[in-house]
Amino acid sequence: MKSKSINPSETEPSSTGALIRLVADLLESGDYGQRVLEVDAESVRVLEMNGALSATIPIADIHNARNEPVVGGGRLEVTTKKGEKLALISYTHTIAARFSEAARGIEQLAKGEELLINLKPQRTHCEKCKRLLPEVDGICPACVDRGKTLLRIARFMLPYKYWAITLATLAFLTTVLNLVPPILQGRLIDEVLQRHTNYPLLYQLIGVWVGIALTSSLINITRDRIVAKLAGSIAADLRATVYRAIEFLQLTYFDKKQVGAISSRVTTDTDRVWGFLVEGVPYFLLNGLMLVGVSAFLFWTNWFLALCILAPIPVIITIAVRFWKPMTQMFYKVGQKWARFYIHLNESLNGIRVVKAFAKEDSEFHKFTKRNVELQEAGVKADSRWFTIFGAMLFFSSLGTIICWLVGGAMVVRKELTLGEFYRIHAYLALIYGPIQWFAAVNNWFSRAMAGADRIFEIIDMEKEAYRLDDGVRHDIKGEVHFEDVRFGYDKSNPVLKDINFVAKPGEMIGLVGKSGAGKSTTINLIARFYEPDSGSIKIDGLDYREIELQHLRRQIGIVLQEPFLFNGTVAENIAYGKADATMEEIVEAARAANAHNFIMMKPDGYDQMVGERGAKLSGGERQRVSIARAILHDPRILILDEATSSVDVETEKQIQEAIGRLVAGRTTFAIAHRLSTLRNADRLIVLDRGKIVEVGTHEELMEKKGVFSKLVETQSEIQEIIGFDLGQAEAAK
Amino acid sequence: MITPTSDNIKLFHEPKDVLRMTVADQYSVVQIEPRWAAPLSHPGQLLGLMNSKGEEVLLLPTVESLSAVNQEVIQRELDRRYLTSTVHKIVSAKVEFGATYWTVITERGQRDFVVQSLQENAQWLGERQLVFVDIDHNRFEVPDIDKLDPQSRKFIDSIL
Ligand SMILES: Nc1ncnc2c1ncn2[C@@H]1O[C@H](COP(=O)(O)OP(=O)(O)OP(=O)(O)O)[C@@H](O)[C@H]1O
Ligand SMILES: [Mg+2]
Repeated sequence: MKSKSINPSETEPSSTGALIRLVADLLESGDYGQRVLEVDAESVRVLEMNGALSATIPIADIHNARNEPVVGGGRLEVTTKKGEKLALISYTHTIAARFSEAARGIEQLAKGEELLINLKPQRTHCEKCKRLLPEVDGICPACVDRGKTLLRIARFMLPYKYWAITLATLAFLTTVLNLVPPILQGRLIDEVLQRHTNYPLLYQLIGVWVGIALTSSLINITRDRIVAKLAGSIAADLRATVYRAIEFLQLTYFDKKQVGAISSRVTTDTDRVWGFLVEGVPYFLLNGLMLVGVSAFLFWTNWFLALCILAPIPVIITIAVRFWKPMTQMFYKVGQKWARFYIHLNESLNGIRVVKAFAKEDSEFHKFTKRNVELQEAGVKADSRWFTIFGAMLFFSSLGTIICWLVGGAMVVRKELTLGEFYRIHAYLALIYGPIQWFAAVNNWFSRAMAGADRIFEIIDMEKEAYRLDDGVRHDIKGEVHFEDVRFGYDKSNPVLKDINFVAKPGEMIGLVGKSGAGKSTTINLIARFYEPDSGSIKIDGLDYREIELQHLRRQIGIVLQEPFLFNGTVAENIAYGKADATMEEIVEAARAANAHNFIMMKPDGYDQMVGERGAKLSGGERQRVSIARAILHDPRILILDEATSSVDVETEKQIQEAIGRLVAGRTTFAIAHRLSTLRNADRLIVLDRGKIVEVGTHEELMEKKGVFSKLVETQSEIQEIIGFDLGQAEAAK
Repeated sequence: MITPTSDNIKLFHEPKDVLRMTVADQYSVVQIEPRWAAPLSHPGQLLGLMNSKGEEVLLLPTVESLSAVNQEVIQRELDRRYLTSTVHKIVSAKVEFGATYWTVITERGQRDFVVQSLQENAQWLGERQLVFVDIDHNRFEVPDIDKLDPQSRKFIDSIL
């Protein structure tokens, strides 16, 4: 009996009366299997597939409901008004986000609110081939329309269509010209060599031959030059298109993928596609024509002999088809090994300082050797296999030649065929078996190019940031920022921010405090609209910020990120990143405000000092100050400082503080700092704890309240005392 | 306050879905969440008992150091909190269109999944241990590929 895999349900049977109906993929025992969560206005129920009722809770008894993330999935937990916590149903990650939505729905019902959740059905399987989709609601790689993809790639040829047509014409000419020399040779044999006379014909034929050789060389050179031109142009176009698409992708995409994997779409995948377009398509034409043309010629010369010598071709095709799959699998594996090899190589070189610091050269070399050997073994295995198959194909090709001599030779002896005709057929044989081998390999090439194209189009088609919303308004920000019931999670089933409500008045300086991981950076990520709230809204000057044109919005927001990133270039270029036309005076002024001027002046090249990749040639504190200067010069209406001064000494920080203090006047500022003294200038402090606002108020108010904030301050000053004490002791010991 | 040890604690579910702990019958911690320190590389070792604030109350070297009753209770909780799957057998695996399609039998039953970009999502932990992560972040663990049947091993060998 063939057992069936239990996978998340493909369809949700609709049921009358139920407001929410979701099928989970785990049974109570923890085995894969289906159970149903049903919610209506009266109760929440869990049903088994046979209809048996496993649990029921009246909505009226429910205080709250949530998705409790567990390792590998989640479970729906309901807290009753009596404070009792009940776990209703478990499920894997695949459908956790939907149950999280359902939990919100249950809460809304429990509070007597309107049911406002988004539970559109998910597609987990392809409708056409029933294959599991790699990504929920994604495309089925098996059913994407190859023809359509091909057409889309072909569109990249459009700007160069005249070149492409020329290329095809030249390919046709080459085919025709290739057919001529064997004819000449045949005539030479029959009419000159065998008759042992007729010099004029010899010179005549040789003359034609030279002419043809010259012409086809010229054609080949022209063709290859066009190929080079087309290759370069189309490759550049493809790369530009993909890069442009990637630039506008949402940040959630970058969270999920490694940078290496993304950049490979710009390089490797585009390479495959243009390679196929420019080199594959013309040869496809060339070899196709050659095959048809030559076979026709062979049959015309002598159909019986033609039939005999072409006999091995079906065998060759069978071999190619039979071994194509396992072969690609093996090459795929070699690709995997290469990737593993590269990852290790990159990592150990990037971390070379750490490697040296821990004297780990030997163990890194050991790892390297392991990957190297793996790569070697996989490569040798695949190549050996390939050469074996290739050898077999070659053997059958040479069989064609042997048959030609056997059958053709006998025919020549019986005078059924002249020597010249025999020679011509023999020469054409090579023109047939070449293209056949090419076609055997092209399938593989084609699939890889198509896979590359699919990956490219996946990016091009992916939902972009709403950059140029047609009806997006341009709004000059005054600076009021209003969070209204904001809820957000990087993973939709696990909110990092919940019920965030606050209003920052124009020009106000808000300090965000809270333990590490509380959600501070996340809050400011939302303000900059790197991510958008899952529910609730953020309003700027009373306007939902999704209605403001994105680039226009971001131009008015200045950010100093927790991990400052500088581009490889000069200090001045980095400071002027947000304002390309800034004068040197403005740059210096900004640097001064960020307390960076002095250290920059002390560099040999001053503002022209190169900062290195990622700004690696500057110290951590220097990098921070340059990025503060960058934000200042940007002259934003809303300024965001995420741990902007965490890597500078207290004295420097104080100076920056003062500079910022002058600067923030009139701008709404959000500042995050672990060193709480940094925030003493803040008008108000918002204290976050595990994604919720727990306290809001001025420094004094919060200290008096003796709540979470005052505890944070206390521990911090305790720690400082300890450090101070230790220092004191060390000094005393001297 | 008496420090909890594996000998003086009592674990129980009260109400039925909340794990509680009393220490030497003196005081109780109302909500306990067991967390493996290294579930993949050191399964069965170092189990942390965390309170509702996410702070560790007790770190057990193994579950066996607990009394039989406690063991049973903690096992029940662990079963609910670890929904990961261990692969016992690979029924089929194939590479198609740049993705790998797998059908596996786990301790929870049979399941299909797709892994995209295998070099990121098939993670080797050491020489023989392998974890597949599908697109939804479901994890399928192969604790020791040498312990799989030859057919399953062949599937892995042919792809990785
Ligand atoms: N890109 C991301 N993808 C998934 N989870 C994330 C991402 N960024 C942050 N998180 C998680 O969200 C939570 C809040 O993170 P956040 O960066 O907002 O904390 P924070 O308050 O700024 O902490 P810190 O003071 O350490 O900077 C953390 O649990 C973190 O692990
Ligand atoms: Mg942060």
